[in-house]
Amino acid sequence: MHDVVTGEKVFDASAGRAVPPQPGLRKPVILGNKTYRDVTSDICSQLDQKASLSWWAAFLVSLTVLAVGALSVGYQVLTGVGVWGLNNTVGWAFDITNFVFWIGIGHAGTLISAILFLFRQKWRTSVNRSAEAMTIFAVICAGIFPIIHTGRPWLAFWLLPYPNFRGPLWVNFRSPLVWDMFAISCYFTISAVFWFVGLIPDFATLRDRTAPGIRKRIYAFLSLGWNGSNRTWHRYEKVYLLLAGLATPLVISVHTIVSWDFATSVIPGWHTTILPPYFVAGAVFSGFAMVLTLMLIVRRVMRLEEYITPHHIEQMCTIILATGGMVALAYATELFVAYYSGNPYERFAFVNRALGPYAWTYWIMISCNVLVPQFFWFKRVRANVAAVFALSIFINIGMWFERYVIIMTSLTRDYIPAGWSGFTPTLVDLGTLVGSFGLFFTLFLLFARFLPMVAIGEVKGVLRYGRSVNGGA
Amino acid sequence: MTEEYGHINVASLPGMGRRSFLRLAGFSFAGAVLAGCQQGGVEKAIPHLVQPEESTPGSAVWYSTICAGCQAGCGILAKVRDGRPIKLEGNPGHPLSQGGMCAIGQASLLGLYDSLRLKAPLMKGAPSSWQELDRHVMAELDRIRRGKGAVRFLTGTVTSPATRAVIQRFLGSFADARHVEYDPMSCAAILDAHRLTHGARVLPRYHFAEASVITAFDADFLGNWISPVEFTKGYRAGRTPAGNPARFSFHAHFESRVSLTGSNADQRVCVSPDELQLCLEGMAAIIAERAGRTLGLSVRLPANLDNSVRRLADRLWNARGRGLVVCGVNTVRHQVLVNALNAMLDNYGGTVDIDTPSHQYAGNDAGVEDLLNELRRGSVEALFVSGANPVYDLPEGQALGEWMKKTPFVVSFSGEDDETAACARYVCPTPHFLEAWNDSEPVSGIVALAQPTIRSLRDSRQMIESLSVWSGDNAPALDLIRREWERTIRERHATSQTMDAFWNRTLADGYAVVRSASAPHHACDYDAVATVVTERGPTSVSIPPATGGVTASPGGPPPGFAGGRYTLLLHPSLTILDGRHGHNPWLHELPDPVTKIVWDNAASLSRKTAEALGVRHGDLIRIEANQKFLELPVHIQPGQHDAVVVVTLGYGRKGTDRFRDIGPEWLQSRPTVGSGETVGKNAALFGLIEAGCRTNRIDAARLIPTGGTHVLVTTQEYHSLREPNLFGGETGHRRPIVQETTLAAFANDPSAGSFHKEELDSLWPDDHKYAGHHWGMTIDLTACTGCSACVMACQAENNIPVVGKDEVRRNRELAWIRVDRYYDEARGEFSVSHQPMMCQHCGNAPCETVCPVLATVHSAEGLNQQIYNRCVGTRYCANNCPYKMRRFNWFEYRHGDEMQRMVLNPDVTVRERGVMEKCSFCIQRIQGAKIRAKREGRPLNDGDAQPACAQSCPARAIIFGDVNDPSSEISKTLSSPRHYRVLEELGVRPSVGYLTLVRNREEQAGEADHA
Repeated sequence: MHDVVTGEKVFDASAGRAVPPQPGLRKPVILGNKTYRDVTSDICSQLDQKASLSWWAAFLVSLTVLAVGALSVGYQVLTGVGVWGLNNTVGWAFDITNFVFWIGIGHAGTLISAILFLFRQKWRTSVNRSAEAMTIFAVICAGIFPIIHTGRPWLAFWLLPYPNFRGPLWVNFRSPLVWDMFAISCYFTISAVFWFVGLIPDFATLRDRTAPGIRKRIYAFLSLGWNGSNRTWHRYEKVYLLLAGLATPLVISVHTIVSWDFATSVIPGWHTTILPPYFVAGAVFSGFAMVLTLMLIVRRVMRLEEYITPHHIEQMCTIILATGGMVALAYATELFVAYYSGNPYERFAFVNRALGPYAWTYWIMISCNVLVPQFFWFKRVRANVAAVFALSIFINIGMWFERYVIIMTSLTRDYIPAGWSGFTPTLVDLGTLVGSFGLFFTLFLLFARFLPMVAIGEVKGVLRYGRSVNGGA
Repeated sequence: MTEEYGHINVASLPGMGRRSFLRLAGFSFAGAVLAGCQQGGVEKAIPHLVQPEESTPGSAVWYSTICAGCQAGCGILAKVRDGRPIKLEGNPGHPLSQGGMCAIGQASLLGLYDSLRLKAPLMKGAPSSWQELDRHVMAELDRIRRGKGAVRFLTGTVTSPATRAVIQRFLGSFADARHVEYDPMSCAAILDAHRLTHGARVLPRYHFAEASVITAFDADFLGNWISPVEFTKGYRAGRTPAGNPARFSFHAHFESRVSLTGSNADQRVCVSPDELQLCLEGMAAIIAERAGRTLGLSVRLPANLDNSVRRLADRLWNARGRGLVVCGVNTVRHQVLVNALNAMLDNYGGTVDIDTPSHQYAGNDAGVEDLLNELRRGSVEALFVSGANPVYDLPEGQALGEWMKKTPFVVSFSGEDDETAACARYVCPTPHFLEAWNDSEPVSGIVALAQPTIRSLRDSRQMIESLSVWSGDNAPALDLIRREWERTIRERHATSQTMDAFWNRTLADGYAVVRSASAPHHACDYDAVATVVTERGPTSVSIPPATGGVTASPGGPPPGFAGGRYTLLLHPSLTILDGRHGHNPWLHELPDPVTKIVWDNAASLSRKTAEALGVRHGDLIRIEANQKFLELPVHIQPGQHDAVVVVTLGYGRKGTDRFRDIGPEWLQSRPTVGSGETVGKNAALFGLIEAGCRTNRIDAARLIPTGGTHVLVTTQEYHSLREPNLFGGETGHRRPIVQETTLAAFANDPSAGSFHKEELDSLWPDDHKYAGHHWGMTIDLTACTGCSACVMACQAENNIPVVGKDEVRRNRELAWIRVDRYYDEARGEFSVSHQPMMCQHCGNAPCETVCPVLATVHSAEGLNQQIYNRCVGTRYCANNCPYKMRRFNWFEYRHGDEMQRMVLNPDVTVRERGVMEKCSFCIQRIQGAKIRAKREGRPLNDGDAQPACAQSCPARAIIFGDVNDPSSEISKTLSSPRHYRVLEELGVRPSVGYLTLVRNREEQAGEADHA
């Protein structure tokens, strides 16, 4: 059961010895010489057992933090947006930072489930279910902010174009916030459907394993009459492929549109054409960091070390290294363009970011997003779970600060010096931020309790990777 | 049909049987009961049974009256809507203010609705009735008349002829009676000096418009000195960079602090108070030499100032008869020298007018000193105090309060229970000036009438009515005033109108010009000058000029002279004056035009002094002088002299802790003022009456940092147009937001200083045709003094709520217009620019494209309109506004209490929380003007539609009108080579433009006339 990677050898606990990897074969995706039965029981047993103490502890903590967030938001809705630290000059800070941050987190899930699926990256099967769940929960967290950040959230539905008796009065299709509304609702819908479709075979497995009762009936309902026949598999794989195709452009489009909130404005530091690719790369970068953070916990707590193997971790570290490089390039390009444009306002905005009153936020961003990923060049770091975990946390922090730097520092000092201001978060700002994490982890823990964390059906398809011929084929 | 229905009865309805009827009746009854259970507000709205002739619900009437915000006596129009005065506006015809109105005057309207105004007369602190009070007072007065006790009547300057006459008549019935006038913002030395030099105790009327060289020694004539609106008008008239050669006065200003006037000067000379005296003396000596007079002075100028004083003396000499020297230092010796200067320069009769003198300040500090001595000795039997708050604003106020309590009979006439009223046995509530009849002659020959605009909201009685009752006359104020006018004013009027016609004409106009009555005086007596100069000696020069080389220039030595002693300078606030408006929240939240501080006064220090003391903005320091001390927060004032500490007067009024919860209350809100504390601190206690004149200069003050801090809030956080050079070094790029030039450069090239002229190509189709009107605004930065009258006009017109100190600290003030004030300290020079900034109503507005719900849209007339009820409050528009002139309702802001809500303008929506707002170009006024024009069947004329800011501006710096009308004033400004638009390069096409700031600067000018 307990495999560890020792150098290039794989220690096979069941064989009691280290076996050299088979030449000419890929690295195994799943360790431990699992049989199909093993996979089913490994994954489903988590759901059969009573919740562990650690789950309860984690759940209660998350719930408490969620309650803090709920109180903060409730207080803010009742009292006014003034309970945040915003002002005449800085109209957005934590609210939209959190929004962009969470949207960015979601992107890794979609990338793993859709793009890596289309690229036949079989290693994704171990992590795609959790990553997709992460996407959905992150989008839920993100989606809250555009609603609550408005001065009159009870009227936020006016951002939707719906037939009405006010003229009819439509939304302003020129406003990037309206595009956002479409992009995010679209993203959420596709991600949810994609996730659900992927779950159907596993629901059927759960249905078949569960003793009659209410739970079985729910699983039965959710499995949509799945019977494991060739036909169901055939239909399923077609739908899955189509949905993957649909979801793929979203990875690019959603964050591109989010970046237009800033890129289409006139504010120095926002108004720049590099933002779409920069945001997409940053989103994937931050998303993978969050996937790593979550997977490393899940792997340990849910005992999924054989499913989420060092190989997976390494792959994700590599992606982080790549996207981190893109992000670093974007930072450098921004600085260069600001210098080279000759636009004094633009130039000042970037000098101010790096050296102004909020320089510390900028340097947190640079340290976490440019320096930290450089450790992933080292295989020893990539293989060290604790180190990877720590670095992934830093990247999460760094990416939150990236959005904070872009949004907040650009606003504090724009064109008219007499209007310059600063931003200091209030307790409600902080409460709302941690509350969004509370919501995210609460949802994730519920997911871990009630749904299979690993796509059973898909993992079974990659079970034989890296095994010798007699192990199956 | 109608007939048929008329005959329907229940019984004949088909299917309506007895049971159905009962069922229906039961339901109806139950319904009625349920409806009755609802707790609906019982409101009685009773319209006028008999409609007053001139009152139409929903339409406003303007009454001409006199402003009583200060003594200047500007003519104003009170806009009364549905019986409530809701806005004060300048009276365009008034010879002094000419339609301008300062911020203080406009805000004084709010005082009418102050809920803390006295509700009833007080006797020994307890509420009483007028009958009771009159009975007691008259008995006491009889006793005093019989006992021939000393009666003293202390007032502020009385500019009202009727009031003066009534007081004289009243005092005439006592054996030993004296009327003492005093001004907390004293100009007594000017009057005293004229008594010495010209033989008449008069305050001259200064004609700034006629002056081509203005030299001011610490006289804040654009701020709050004597008659700021009148002076601003004149100053502006004498400075227009149009015509060839341009009529553009040169203004040199000597001062230690940074006053509003100094900030507008062409040449501001930063001197210590001692150096200021030396400069004045030096200049007098130089001019005396030229004029062949002897004043007993020798020229001993500090080396660093020698050149500038001599050059200035040349300029003044060359402009004889067209120069003007003014001085705000309340010392006879200073003022005598100023009189001599003006006389030697032939300015009397030209720019300095004592034939038709001003009555605006008539206070006599020596008289106050005598009165204080009498009170101290307890030799006063009866004291009346009216229109003054000496317990608060006199240096010996606290002691005075004690002496007053010991004085047998003290009557205070006051609208509020102020510091002085609290020490008086009888308090007679007086009406707000908008509830009262009054008259005034602020300047000899200009008389004005004030009429009530609303029935008194309180059980108050005018002071003259009270005196009349106590004299057994029982005449109402109107009769008293009319009688006086029949007696003395009517005869001075040129026409042969009947009294009724003259009265009605004056009442409608608000003023009349009559023959002036001047005191007899003679030409300047130079011997008297020499006597004063030698006798009174330079006593106050405590630092010999040899060591007085302390300047604000960066190269000067650090302070630390005389054992860390500084000179304390006190000056009245630009917003609440000497404290008389200390209960006015509008004025507390109006940023000081120079420091931009709100809700506080502070100890202003130069940067170098602050560094030497190791204090920063908001640190508390203890000021010790005269065996008195005060702890105040530090404000760092660029351009201030290192040797002085400057404190604003007028703060620390009793009862100002009422503003504690004026802002929104929430988790992390902080009160505007602590419980039991006051807004700011009262620095009047430091003042001195020296040689018969009240001085606001106190030497040898010690400054001791206490280690504590105070939240000192300014509306502007960054004060320069130059970007901070974050790489280190002196200064960064200067942003062309304010474009300025010198007069000489302007003469060579009228477009000097203004750039970004090229019309940018646009990819966008020209969406907006502007077929009808196209509104635009131009702000002349040369004219703008930064006085902030526009800010207050906007506040009153557009129902801008007061948000409290903490919200301002969080940069959430709601003012739709702000006056940006920039310091430029490059190359060791110090200059200031003021720039009113509001929504620029862009043709390609960045706010409009980003609003997701179309809550901000462009009108067919070029206005950028905010639709409050559509706004969901994303704040995206505010983020995308390059001018940052959008304001968000972070909370449900309170619009004062129930009383104060009466001041709200019914034409302007009160915004709810969560919506964005901003300048609307006063669309309600534009629409009103259009409706009026349409009703009168005429086209809209240029000037018919005026936003509140443009209307009130004393300098006429804001020009508003229809750009499509080629003959309009605004169209003319558009073709001016000085015209530019802020951030034009962004392509947002703002509707607001600016005219470059032209300074009459010497150094860059290269003129030869004063080499």
